[in-house]
Amino acid sequence: MREVLVDVLLTMSWAVLGYTLLLDSVMLALVLTGARRVRASRRWDGSEGHEEIFASPLTPGVSVLIPAHDEEAGILDTLGAVLAQRYPVLEVVLVDDGSTDRTFDKVAERFGLVQVTARPTASLPVDGEILSVHRATTGDPLTVVRKTSVGRRSDALNAALNVARHPLVCMVDADSLLEPEALVQVARPFVEDPANVVASGGVIRAANGARVARGSVLEPRLSSRWVVRFQVVEYLRSFLLGRTGWADANALLIISGAFGLFRRDLVVEVGGLDALSLAEDAELVVTLQEHLRRQRRPHRVVFVPEPVCWTEVPETLAVLGRQRRRWSHGLAQLLWKHRRMIGNPRFGPVGVLALPFFLLFELLGPVVEVVGLVSVVLAAFLGLLDTGTALVMVGLALGLGTLLSTAAVAVEEFSYARYTRGREVGVLLLTGLLENLGYRQLHAWFRLRGLVAALMRRTPVWTAMPRTGFTEAEPVGVA
Amino acid sequence: MNSLAAAAAAATAVLGVLVVVLLVAVAAVHTTRTRRLAAAQGNRAGLMALVHDLLDDGDPDAVVAAPHDLDEVLLHLLPQLRGADREAIQTALTRRGVVARAAADLDARAAWRRGRAATLLGSTAGRDHLARLTALLADRSLEVRCAAARALGRVGDPAAVHGLLASLTTARPLPAGVVGMAVLDLGTAVLPALRATLVTGSPAARALSADVVGVHGDLAATSALVDLLTEARQPEDVRRAAATALGRIGDPAATDPLAQVLLDAALPPLQRAAAEALGRVGDPAGAPALLAGLTCPAREVAAACDDALVALGPEGSAVLADAAARGGPLGTAAAATLDAAPQPGRLVGV
Repeated sequence: MREVLVDVLLTMSWAVLGYTLLLDSVMLALVLTGARRVRASRRWDGSEGHEEIFASPLTPGVSVLIPAHDEEAGILDTLGAVLAQRYPVLEVVLVDDGSTDRTFDKVAERFGLVQVTARPTASLPVDGEILSVHRATTGDPLTVVRKTSVGRRSDALNAALNVARHPLVCMVDADSLLEPEALVQVARPFVEDPANVVASGGVIRAANGARVARGSVLEPRLSSRWVVRFQVVEYLRSFLLGRTGWADANALLIISGAFGLFRRDLVVEVGGLDALSLAEDAELVVTLQEHLRRQRRPHRVVFVPEPVCWTEVPETLAVLGRQRRRWSHGLAQLLWKHRRMIGNPRFGPVGVLALPFFLLFELLGPVVEVVGLVSVVLAAFLGLLDTGTALVMVGLALGLGTLLSTAAVAVEEFSYARYTRGREVGVLLLTGLLENLGYRQLHAWFRLRGLVAALMRRTPVWTAMPRTGFTEAEPVGVA
Repeated sequence: MNSLAAAAAAATAVLGVLVVVLLVAVAAVHTTRTRRLAAAQGNRAGLMALVHDLLDDGDPDAVVAAPHDLDEVLLHLLPQLRGADREAIQTALTRRGVVARAAADLDARAAWRRGRAATLLGSTAGRDHLARLTALLADRSLEVRCAAARALGRVGDPAAVHGLLASLTTARPLPAGVVGMAVLDLGTAVLPALRATLVTGSPAARALSADVVGVHGDLAATSALVDLLTEARQPEDVRRAAATALGRIGDPAATDPLAQVLLDAALPPLQRAAAEALGRVGDPAGAPALLAGLTCPAREVAAACDDALVALGPEGSAVLADAAARGGPLGTAAAATLDAAPQPGRLVGV
């Protein structure tokens, strides 16, 4: 019996170690590919033709869709940033999704809203009841839709799509701040390759701690909370470099819901956003790719490593846990719904590379990590652990993880250098080391719980994150 | 320690060294950048004084002898200036060798260097490098081809229009959006060439020419555009571009053909473009077709008819009121449209 147990534990340990090394190696390859792309992109800085796009009457109009539920803390900043975009043709559709705070009142006061009769441009199904539609009287191209909430972001976005009038739609979270050039940069692929580009996404960064004034990030600063710092490194590694790498392989699966641009006609054609999905942003991208592949229509999903959308990330482990459980649950839903695409060469790099990766490493990763930890503890308990060998192996895994995070921070410093203070760069590098010692394991636990929720077929629930709003910069020269 | 553990330990050591190398590199880059920025901040006042002096007809030789950082300042200022000031900056850049270096970079191996060189020549070099920029429209890199097209637009020589239009259909075609922006930059001097393309060009060139003559409001192109719009054998995107252009030009002679397409085409994107164009033309004769379009099953067409009727002003409102009074599905749609226009003064939630 003991021999069998020894064999099982040893096999598990080696399998987990091999899996971890493989995962980190793949991520390192993605980060390096992304870094190469970022470097190439930065070399074109100033020669991308943004001025021409801004000045051209041929540039397609964009409807910015913002779903908001209890967002009074930052909604005016978000609207201010969107309405200040340097973009020639723009409208904003804000959906007040059953807010119980003063979200609508604040917007009504600032923009002098008047009620109008809705003039829909599409008839996507919306489960919540549309209560009223309003327009701004301040000259701003703002439409506000009030509806009852059914607890799903996708429902609010579908309501917004039904009144959007421009050929491109940009989905932005209500707790996000766009940089003034963000829209023109993310729209550039649509201008340059209108026949093929169906969606494009931009870079998301954590706004917590940044100095903000009237919707503009004046100075990015690193939050004093470690849970935020861990996410800053994670966003650099996975959302900036990882997605750039996937896009380079023509296998981009996720465009963040916080900032993504899509062709409106195609989104309407596939029936809008999936009402039941907890990862509606990724779900939309995969649905579009599946739909267009099946019809053999040209399509390209692009990631632009330049534009920046600053968003509020969870500041406590409890909120982070809820968010990551939801993401994991949503990923499981997505992979199940599109299971026929997984490993299927008919769907190109998305089917052969991206979906298998997300299944093996993103969805099942936490299972393997937790099993690995349990096997090590069990082995130690039974006196089967060769401490020296175990330490070396753990050191190897830690070394690879640290190299991955350090490389991500290094690319940030070499390319963008958004954090100008030396101390902040130092803290970021330290965060890259520390995240392997506790945060990564906790993160795996959150994701495992999301996977279990999906397997138990629990009812998907979209829970809003508590908002603290942005840190307003103090006026200069005021005592 | 077994051999596997020894190998793992060696790999860990290598990873450790790599991490340390990265840490040192980050520290070095950060320190260097901070110092460089501080130095540039200190020099900037002096460089700006030089530039102001140059623009006030000062000594051009002083600019030629100035440090390398001045190039960046001049290139940053260039797009913001016009007329004599722009020419002064262009001359200074030429004398400092910036333009010659860019011209040499047009043959560089790295795509970004060719692209940046094209961009710089487009802003600074006038018509001296037109032929080389036109040749770059066939570059193996799409980004370089786009940069060359934009540069040709900035140079503004109407002779570039033929190369630009041809680049739409070569083996390495350029995106219509980029070519359209460049052709627009060439100004109204290219309108005769575009009118000819409406008749003889490739489908892509016809669609793009329609877009551009529309933006210029070229009344003389109306007849050719109407032909493109009404000829069912034309590709749909060409007909759609023609409809949009007719709306932008605003000639009432286009009202009937547009109304006919709106009612008969059975192609929602084309019908929508026709409805939007009727709204822009503003001819009350288009109102009956727009009214009929309100009940079109395609929502986007109905919404465009809705907007267009509102855009017709009092005439559109009268037609809507009349239809609303008569009731039925059309009357309901007309009443909703009448109600849709914002009514200032009815503030909500205040």
